[in-house]
Amino acid sequence: MTQHRPLAARATLRLAALMALAIAALSLAAMGLQYRLVQARMMQASQVLLTADLNGFAALYEQRRIIALRQAIDYRTTAGTGGEMLLLQDRNGVVLAGTEAAWPAEIIAQGDGFSPDQAIEFTTGGSRWLGVARTLPGGFPLLIAHSLAPLDATLASLRRGMMALGAVLALAGAAVGWLAARGVMARIGRINTLADRVAAGDLAARLPGPRSADEFGLLETHVHAMLDRIENLNRATHRLSDTIAHELRTPLNRIMQKLARIEGQPDLAAELKTEMRSAIRVFDSLLDISRAEADQGSGGGLVPVDLSAVVAEVWDLYEPLGEDKALHCTLTVVPDLQVLGDRNLIAQLLSNLLDNAIKYCAAGDSLQLDLYATGDGHVLRIADTGPGLPDSLKLSAFDRFVRADRDKDRGIKGHGLGLALVSAIAARHGAKLQLPMVEKGFVLEILWPKLVLDP
Amino acid sequence: MDRILIVEDDPETAAAVAAEVRGLGCMPVVMETLAAGLAASTEDFPVIVLDRMLPGGDGVDAIARMRAAGASGLILVLSALGRAANRVEGLEKGADDYLPKPFEPEELRARLRALLRRGTMQVLDNDLLAFGALEIRMKARTVHVNRAHVAVSPKEFELITYFARNAGQVVTRMQLLENVWNLHFDPGTNVVDVHVGRLRRKLEDAGSTAIQTARGEGYVFAPLAQA
Repeated sequence: MTQHRPLAARATLRLAALMALAIAALSLAAMGLQYRLVQARMMQASQVLLTADLNGFAALYEQRRIIALRQAIDYRTTAGTGGEMLLLQDRNGVVLAGTEAAWPAEIIAQGDGFSPDQAIEFTTGGSRWLGVARTLPGGFPLLIAHSLAPLDATLASLRRGMMALGAVLALAGAAVGWLAARGVMARIGRINTLADRVAAGDLAARLPGPRSADEFGLLETHVHAMLDRIENLNRATHRLSDTIAHELRTPLNRIMQKLARIEGQPDLAAELKTEMRSAIRVFDSLLDISRAEADQGSGGGLVPVDLSAVVAEVWDLYEPLGEDKALHCTLTVVPDLQVLGDRNLIAQLLSNLLDNAIKYCAAGDSLQLDLYATGDGHVLRIADTGPGLPDSLKLSAFDRFVRADRDKDRGIKGHGLGLALVSAIAARHGAKLQLPMVEKGFVLEILWPKLVLDP
Repeated sequence: MDRILIVEDDPETAAAVAAEVRGLGCMPVVMETLAAGLAASTEDFPVIVLDRMLPGGDGVDAIARMRAAGASGLILVLSALGRAANRVEGLEKGADDYLPKPFEPEELRARLRALLRRGTMQVLDNDLLAFGALEIRMKARTVHVNRAHVAVSPKEFELITYFARNAGQVVTRMQLLENVWNLHFDPGTNVVDVHVGRLRRKLEDAGSTAIQTARGEGYVFAPLAQA
């Protein structure tokens, strides 16, 4: 079964985050363009204002030169709006009139007219200014500048507005994304839970309630159609094996009955009977394997079984056989270990393993069967010091009809179905097989899931 | 003469079963459908041989209806559904015995005989079962031969009581596996022989030849012949 992580809607969240980011970015870009436009327009307006101012001063200068300028600047300084910077000096640097006490060090006068060209932007006293610095004919430095503070204040408030809007957009995006992800996850979670139940063997599991008419409803409908198909196939498999059982057993049965009527050749009849028995056993094993595989994972038909007791019983059945073959047999069983299982199948699994071990081991070999509990479940461990599995067979030993060549050479009878049945029965019980590396012999560990009793 | 009802749709199988029934000195009555079998089951048959996949339904599902209708015969289910799970299901649904097809005639004979005997046998509630020199004490779970105690394991005790209950008749390995070990599959090897062999040696060492081999069929617990 799949590990259950807390459902993380990574994909949906990513999508929602991406959409929120895209919307926020587009809005911010649009606002950015607007900002640039406002900035350019306001700057233009400042320049127009400066140009007008300069034209005024130029007219005065045309009339009465420095004196007129000085008077105008004095007048304007007294009126003092704070929004302008005016300064007129004589050739020795003495201030004739102006808002400033001294020529700002960072400003260098350029040109000698009242043209608004070459207007400079500078920063002094913490705010920006736009103005011109000239040296009028005769060496009179003149500075006329307008404060850009109102413009900057407007732009700053605009920027604040944009930041706030951006934050609101991001938050809204996150909230919408979270809600969408939660909604999607709830719908997907239902389908995941269904898939888990089916994977755990409950092929008849379906989602309750009506399908909604959206893409999730469509997904559910498709999943249901798929499950119906799987369930039908599974049922067909069961029916097929039952039908094969019936259709083949009846003729086999007739052969068997007619065999009993053969007279005069008792040895031949006995041999034929033995052959028949062996053929029926192969047939039964195949049916057992496919039935166990078909039932795999479905809890149906399994009941609480005392694994310890079954192990002890089957061991008691086989131990004398091992002793007669002079094997050293040891059994260690922790009592009262319970599993959810089918007692006959478990006994069949044990019987196959013990029968194999006794068949392959020679006198003097040891055979050990252990059953103990670990944190994960109950471990059934069978270990012998016989010939073990050939390396070439390690991977395929649990497949059907796989046998080691040396067994055929040694004349050990079998059909290569024993371990396949062991594997199918283990899988039917959700038990895991492990072949630990050993130096000698055959060791198989089967990890059974613990029986969890409902409180 | 006892009559035995055979509900079976395959004529060959029905004929084979009928032959075994006649061999036991009983009279076979064959019905080919479930409905006919159900109708006939209320008559006086000590044993009913019932197929599963019959025209008209599953014989095992009909057992309850047969009983409800008043059928008193012991029911032997004879079916191609022979997996352990099928057998356990059949026994749980009220069958008295369950033999998978294909079956060997000797196996069927042994089981029919056991059922016929069970129908007439008094309940074994007396503490002491005595077969000549051999004595089985049920409560103490001990076995004595010529008054001498024979040590048997718990399984061997169950084995000998099963033999004793079917004294004088052939008991097959499959019957022993099912009744003594409660295992409903064919292990392939003759594990049972080893156990019977041990018990038999113990008894023989003590002087009893109660357990004998029936060639090709199984064992007979036949102390009456030697008693």
